[in-house]
Amino acid sequence: MKRGALKRALGIYWWVLLFFLYLPLAVVVLFSFNSINSAAIFESFSLRWYYRLLANDQIMSALWHSIVLAMSSSVIAVLLGTLIGYGLYRHRRRGLGWLIVLIYLPIVMPDIVFGIADMTFFVRINALTGWLAPGLGPMILSHVTFEIPFVALIVYSRFVGLDPTLFDAAKDLYASPVKRAWHFIVPAIKPALISAFFLSFTLSIDDFVISFFTSGPESSTLPIYIWGAIRKGVTPEINAIATLMIAAVIVAAIISLLVTRRRPQTPPEGR
Amino acid sequence: MTNALATDDAGRPAPSITLEGLEKSFSRDVIALDGVDLTIRAGEFFTLLGPSGCGKTTLLRILAGLDTANKGVVRIGGHDVTEVPPHKRSVNTVFQSYALFPHLNVEDNIAFGLKMQGVEKDDRQRRVREMAEFIKLTPLLGRRIDQLSGGQRQRIALARALVCEPNVLLLDEPLSALDAGLRGQLQVELQRIQRRLGMTFVFVTHDQQEAMVMSDRIAVLNNGKIQHLGTPREIFERPANTFVARFMGHDNLFDITSREGDLLDTPLGRLTVDTRTHGDKVLIRPETIELGEDAETDANYFTAVVRESFYRGSYIEYRLDVGEVSLRALSSNQGQKLHKNGERVPISICPEDIVTVTDGE
Repeated sequence: MKRGALKRALGIYWWVLLFFLYLPLAVVVLFSFNSINSAAIFESFSLRWYYRLLANDQIMSALWHSIVLAMSSSVIAVLLGTLIGYGLYRHRRRGLGWLIVLIYLPIVMPDIVFGIADMTFFVRINALTGWLAPGLGPMILSHVTFEIPFVALIVYSRFVGLDPTLFDAAKDLYASPVKRAWHFIVPAIKPALISAFFLSFTLSIDDFVISFFTSGPESSTLPIYIWGAIRKGVTPEINAIATLMIAAVIVAAIISLLVTRRRPQTPPEGR
Repeated sequence: MTNALATDDAGRPAPSITLEGLEKSFSRDVIALDGVDLTIRAGEFFTLLGPSGCGKTTLLRILAGLDTANKGVVRIGGHDVTEVPPHKRSVNTVFQSYALFPHLNVEDNIAFGLKMQGVEKDDRQRRVREMAEFIKLTPLLGRRIDQLSGGQRQRIALARALVCEPNVLLLDEPLSALDAGLRGQLQVELQRIQRRLGMTFVFVTHDQQEAMVMSDRIAVLNNGKIQHLGTPREIFERPANTFVARFMGHDNLFDITSREGDLLDTPLGRLTVDTRTHGDKVLIRPETIELGEDAETDANYFTAVVRESFYRGSYIEYRLDVGEVSLRALSSNQGQKLHKNGERVPISICPEDIVTVTDGE
């Protein structure tokens, strides 16, 4: 009887958890389709706020900045982070294992610390050289910086999961260093590269703190715009933006899940 | 495939390997190779045999170019390849873990070496299909690696190496992960393939039975040194030292307390041997001990007490006590009466079957 009670309690816990995780999101999504400007009464279904969104130049330019920032920083972070991941893997047995701590640390470091540090850093560089004025340049640099550790760790763990003899086999089968990278290493870690890209992309889209401290007047991203807008109250327009972001994240998560999951078995050929 | 390689074989004799003064250590304390000189003949099935840590895998990796020796010269087919990187050596390896690429299917795995060498796609496909035919795995070509059994993976690893038609094929304990039945089957198959292709095979194993079944010649390694180089029969019947004798499974080894011509005093008693020998210990192989009254020799008679006996089907294993000394004997099962535990049995050993061995490392 006791086990039955425990089971029921755990079942209830599961539903309560889901309730708190998803109900607030569901409310946002629901009210983004509201035909009237109210956060309390849902009158009827309408795409009114979405049309308003499309017509709002400020929002469109913030969206564009977010996408440019996320795309460019993720591509650069995947390229550079993969090199770090490979380097950590190659030298893991040379007493350099502690280096991975240097990669872990920024992941747990509060964003606000990074944001303030990046701001002072770039402002000083700008004052000295005239380069890197607040705007997309420093934003991309700082996003690349905080994304690299995530990429490096994902790639590193993929390498650790590979049979180390595969590297020997590639050498033994006439692959020069360049061919080894192209025909063995890149295809072997491809799932890790794709999921690292999607993670970087979502981290970048999602980031407010670091972007806020490094952005300039002409480079607001969506989260910065939203933060500015809600000081005047949550409008249904904001709900619409949030709904679009939820949709984008869900799509990215599904794609990355499909890629990293083992491909379905192909039926054996012939007889 | 067979024909293509057979004609090629006539025109191009497989080269031999020469190793001179190879030394390799991984740190001051870990010496893997301690001065190895060795010549492997063209077209030979050669085995490096020894316990784990004896240096056999290091030697194989140096042949492949995956490790470099601290000292010494490696020649393959007369060319000094000591400094040649692995991807430029006409040597291929079958790895213990098979090391099949998980992102490629069976066909692309076999084709990998050819592709890296820049063989045209049509030619590549033809050679892969011929090899698949030769090694009887055509139905598997489209499969993913994780859909294969251990035995199938082993054959694909072999095909992937053979299709490149290397001068030398290296095999690093390729059968150790398989169950006994399959292993026996593949031992025979590997030997047949080697004979048909006439390729030089260098095989690494710790299993002395496997080494004897397959090899033309064996080098027994221990502590980074070659202890004995010879045919399976030489190594089994006339081991160079006590290490080799024990490694080959011999346990009837006795100290020689004094010698007088062809008479040796041992804890077992006085033994007559065939020739003058200089070893430190006497070796009596269990299958050379004759049990019963009707022995064919007139020397080396003893009375033994059967302590234990094990019925092994085609032969019977006895643990005998001769005085204080215990002795292992194998008697082939020809339907004779079996001796019971505690029974007193006369035994005899033919003088020409007794060898002496020096103390080894």
